[in-house]
Amino acid sequence: MQHVFEDLFGSAVRIGALWAVAPELVLCAALATMLVVRMLTPRWRHSPFYVAAAGLAAALALVVCWGLPAGSNQIFTGMLVQDGLAWFLRGLVLLGTLVVVSLTALSRTPTEEGYLEFYFLLVGAALGMCLMVSANHLVMVMIGLEMASICSYVLAGILRRQRQAMEAALKYAVFGAATAGIMLYGMSLLAACLGSVHLPTMARGLADRLSGLPHTEGAAAYQSVLLLGGVMFLVGLGFKLSLFPLHFWAPDVLHGAPAEVGGFLSVVSKTAALGLLARLALVLSGSAGLAQTPALGHVVQALEPARQTLAGLLALLAAVTCTFGNLAAYGQTNMKRLMAYSTIAHAGYMIMPVAALLASAGRDTAAAQNALAALLFYAAAYLWMNLGVFGFTALVRDRCGREEIETYRAFGRQSPGVTVLMAIQLFSLVGLPPMAGFMAKFTVFASLWQCGLGALLLVAVLNTVLSLFYYLRVIRVMTAVGEEGKHSEPGHPAMLSRSERFTGESTTGGLSGEKGVEGPGMAPPSASPPGAEAESAPQAAQPELPLLSWAGLWLLVVCVPVVVLGIWWNGLFALAQAAAAASW
Amino acid sequence: MFGIESLLVVTVVMPLAAAVLTALFGPRLLRSQSHWPTIVALAISLAASLLLVWQVAQEAEATHTARQNEPVPSAQPTSHSLGYERTLTLWTWTGGGEVGQTALSVQPVQDPLGPPPRIEVTLRIDPLTAIMLATVLTISFLVAVYSVGYMHGDPGYWRFYSYIALFVFSMCMLVSVSNFLLLYVFWEAVGLCSYLLIGFWYQRPAAAAAGKKAFLVNRVGDFGFALGVFLLWLTYGTLNFHDVQTGGQTQPGILGQTFLQQPEQYVGGAVGTAIALLLMAGACGKSAQWPLHVWLPDAMEGPTPVSALIHAATMVTAGVYLTARCLPLFLAAPIGPLVVACIGGGTALLAALIALTQTDLKRILAYSTISQLGYMFLAVGTGTALGVTAGMFHLFTHAFFKALLFLAAGSVMHAMGGVIDIRQFGGLRRHLPWTHTTMLFGCLALAGVVPFAGFWSKDAILLAVGQQEGLVYQVLGWAATATAFLTAFYTFRAFFRTFYGPERIPEETGGHVHEGPPWMTAPLVVLAAASLVVGAYFEWTHGFAHFLAQTPSLCLAGLALEGPRAELVSHSQVALLSTLVVLAGIGLAALLYLGSRTVLEGLTRASAAVGLYGLSYGKFFFDELYQAVVVMPLTGLARLCGWLDNQAIDRAVDDVGAAPRALGALFRSLQVGLVPFYALAMILGVLVLLGALMTG
Repeated sequence: MQHVFEDLFGSAVRIGALWAVAPELVLCAALATMLVVRMLTPRWRHSPFYVAAAGLAAALALVVCWGLPAGSNQIFTGMLVQDGLAWFLRGLVLLGTLVVVSLTALSRTPTEEGYLEFYFLLVGAALGMCLMVSANHLVMVMIGLEMASICSYVLAGILRRQRQAMEAALKYAVFGAATAGIMLYGMSLLAACLGSVHLPTMARGLADRLSGLPHTEGAAAYQSVLLLGGVMFLVGLGFKLSLFPLHFWAPDVLHGAPAEVGGFLSVVSKTAALGLLARLALVLSGSAGLAQTPALGHVVQALEPARQTLAGLLALLAAVTCTFGNLAAYGQTNMKRLMAYSTIAHAGYMIMPVAALLASAGRDTAAAQNALAALLFYAAAYLWMNLGVFGFTALVRDRCGREEIETYRAFGRQSPGVTVLMAIQLFSLVGLPPMAGFMAKFTVFASLWQCGLGALLLVAVLNTVLSLFYYLRVIRVMTAVGEEGKHSEPGHPAMLSRSERFTGESTTGGLSGEKGVEGPGMAPPSASPPGAEAESAPQAAQPELPLLSWAGLWLLVVCVPVVVLGIWWNGLFALAQAAAAASW
Repeated sequence: MFGIESLLVVTVVMPLAAAVLTALFGPRLLRSQSHWPTIVALAISLAASLLLVWQVAQEAEATHTARQNEPVPSAQPTSHSLGYERTLTLWTWTGGGEVGQTALSVQPVQDPLGPPPRIEVTLRIDPLTAIMLATVLTISFLVAVYSVGYMHGDPGYWRFYSYIALFVFSMCMLVSVSNFLLLYVFWEAVGLCSYLLIGFWYQRPAAAAAGKKAFLVNRVGDFGFALGVFLLWLTYGTLNFHDVQTGGQTQPGILGQTFLQQPEQYVGGAVGTAIALLLMAGACGKSAQWPLHVWLPDAMEGPTPVSALIHAATMVTAGVYLTARCLPLFLAAPIGPLVVACIGGGTALLAALIALTQTDLKRILAYSTISQLGYMFLAVGTGTALGVTAGMFHLFTHAFFKALLFLAAGSVMHAMGGVIDIRQFGGLRRHLPWTHTTMLFGCLALAGVVPFAGFWSKDAILLAVGQQEGLVYQVLGWAATATAFLTAFYTFRAFFRTFYGPERIPEETGGHVHEGPPWMTAPLVVLAAASLVVGAYFEWTHGFAHFLAQTPSLCLAGLALEGPRAELVSHSQVALLSTLVVLAGIGLAALLYLGSRTVLEGLTRASAAVGLYGLSYGKFFFDELYQAVVVMPLTGLARLCGWLDNQAIDRAVDDVGAAPRALGALFRSLQVGLVPFYALAMILGVLVLLGALMTG
């Protein structure tokens, strides 16, 4: 067997390396099986769901069973890398996809048409994302990215009959393609300058250039090209992460796409892109890929200006993205759109530790590892709380076909249990103790402080305050008493008038403001026009979502980690730290 | 079975149980029978406290005798303990740490946030506590019985008894705890009960306002008291009264044996003075001494039994108790006793002057309470054994006759249909014979006529003050004598106007004037008898002074309580003088109010012409002064703060809150949904970034 492999792929590829990509192979097998089973048993409508779930679960089991790799290890002649970061994020990607798949069983969203395609594309995207987080080579980066992206474009438009979904998919594809092109161009510039497409080699080349640059001819031009290439490369990543100013697609796509897909895009896809960004930061920080280099210390030292530039850029992007996302979320009336902005804001929080990592990598490896651990912890916590909220949105839509926040008015009376769960999720998104979101933010903020990014920390903390309002507004609507009444709560007159200003006015104002300008580009969706909804629909069919139903239990299960991770956080954080240590 | 400790616990716990029971079952189950838990509990407590006094007296006498018979070794002059005390630690409230003070070296605690104070809930019993307990419970029991008649049919009947029981519990704890922090807790608890009971008829705006006023004025004093407790903790590193034995080491308490045997160890100087003055501030608030006396007259808005119990006999004497208890701390301060004496003497005279012209029977009694409390402070402020004994003795006798006077006034009020203005009734002695006789006893005792209780205790005070050296004490002595004259006058002014003269009955009675039920008259009779005998009995047996002298705090070395008795000559001189003065006062009152009206009217006109009448009638305008100096500036400040909060802070918050929404609206407007616009924005954004990086 090994002989055959060596014949086929050359001696560099060992059979052991294949084991390392076994989860990906399992996913591939699942994709093939899905098609075959569908063909063999066309009557078994739900076969794709079971195959996808089984494949994802098997892949996840493989990742978990193998455990944390001891250190960084390049495989397939350096195309991929096995390390703590890749292991942890691959686990998250698989887990997140699995949670989304489990949600679809309850929310009945891939309808009859596109049922097979949905799961096929979902698993395909997960496969691409697994490759993204372990890519160590520009070619693998591009393959993984495109594999994930193309699947995602189609997923966004999986409900072909909905204009809104189609439009979302189209926008996503147009911008995705454009940014991918820009990224590819940046990559080619970098490769041309540095003479390699293998990331650690590129880093070594960059170190050589940086240390040699001042003495050579045409240094300025070289630097410009490098910068240009780097920024263009970042455009691709920033698009996937929906960083300002590359975030424009996110609200429209997440609004238009089904909530399940929205959850997938906002959690899993983002996690993968984050992994790629962290990989770049690691490579620039002298990760194990450079270990064979004779003068590692020298290389790490030489890369300091590149790290500082990138750290500054990321810190700026993080601050702006976070602030933008939180501010623009004010006055949203559609839950999915609100969550889209929330996703943008959280992307800002999540790239903060990357900036911290870059800022401190040269001086203080422990701090840098802590920053990476904070990032991993954040991603893990974010998975549960965001999928919880998107899942809730999907489940309510499944029952009444609406996704407006107003739909949830007085939800607490009908379904108090689920309301509590949602409140926990939203509190966690704000970052209130004792939820997981608090510890996630706390570890990130602590690493910012440790790495000396005080200004960014300040922005982040202020943003947390800003985010409070729009998350709590949802809770307020859910727990409000009275039928339609916005004025029904008894209370202090001053408080009442102030809260009115926050909700009553802004719901209507925000709606007309945004809808008015949105008109030409995006026609109001025919299925559920948001404007007409809030005013006319008499909420006759108040959705009911008892805790003791499959949907309620699903929400409960997703909520449990949010509380557990918030209280007993040290276990996961220790794991994240170990993973971070195993990435160096 | 009847050990001292168990008796003590029974004494304090019974009222609490009654309060809880009445509160739980009063509104539904007991209703008009709500008095039973309280009365039964108070009877048991009273019996226990009397037993307690007896046992403490026995044991104290035993130790005293043993000590005197014991040959004192010269090498250890202070080997035996001073006085008699027993402590009973119930549980540790807070703080597990050991206080790091092991020797008698008084060092300020270096780190105020260092070791937390270990607070143990410790009860103590010594003669002072025993006397206070017995006094409080006797009066409480009689008042509780009286209230059955007085409060009959009140919609808040159960509430009244629940409050009363809670008050008695708090008061018992106040006098029996052995720790300054717990003392403060129950100090506040009695204040709370006082507030609740003053405002008992909270539907009446005047009652609600009076409760509020009492609470707020007390707050001023309590603030000082709290600071005093902090300072004690900083200075001595403990808040316990008693010494604590921990692991073979003695941790000295502030009023424990270790300090008492070496009083020079007490911190004097500025810190000592500050402690004394701050404690005095607390005492002034609670005992309604100048300048915090203004709340007590208003507190008469409460039910009359409450006025008798809380605002005459018991709670208001807590300040005197505190001063007596902390006497070593006052003696350690250079001017401590002097300040106490001056405040006491000054207040006594001031309140007596105000009482001259008041027309509300209960308010006259209230001012007389302030005045008598001033006597007690004056006595304690002499800082001598004689003075402290006299002060406590006066506290003891005053409790009886003042409770009697208030209950009698309540009886009058009951008969007059709630009218209490002495201008509106007169000549009631035929209608209210029992009230008339008992109140006469009370008035004679208050005025200090031989052989009523007030005579002996007031006499002792005048004697103690007279024996002090120094000009200040001489002046205070004369002031006290003048007060005795005024007291006799205003007491009998009220008495004569109520029961003598032409018969006048207000319309509110509906022409139906009658004595109260036996529930009300019985306590009056008991108290009248007590007013007659307690003074003479204890004076002639010397039992009170002898017993009280066994209190550790009052056994301070150098404070020879059991020194030679005052010489008989000066004693009889003082007695003669005060008797003459009192008789003059009564005579003047009789002349003015029983005789012709012309003299009275002439006198009133004359004093009004020079402004004296208005000064007294207007209570020396302290309320107006405080209104102008304290209340109005504070109200102004509050208005300003309110305005700032509404106009500046709230607006700023609103604006800050509006800014994110405005920005959000701006950002949202970027989201136009147009693909070309998005693309342009993205490219522009990237270009800007690139440009910034290239140039920077």
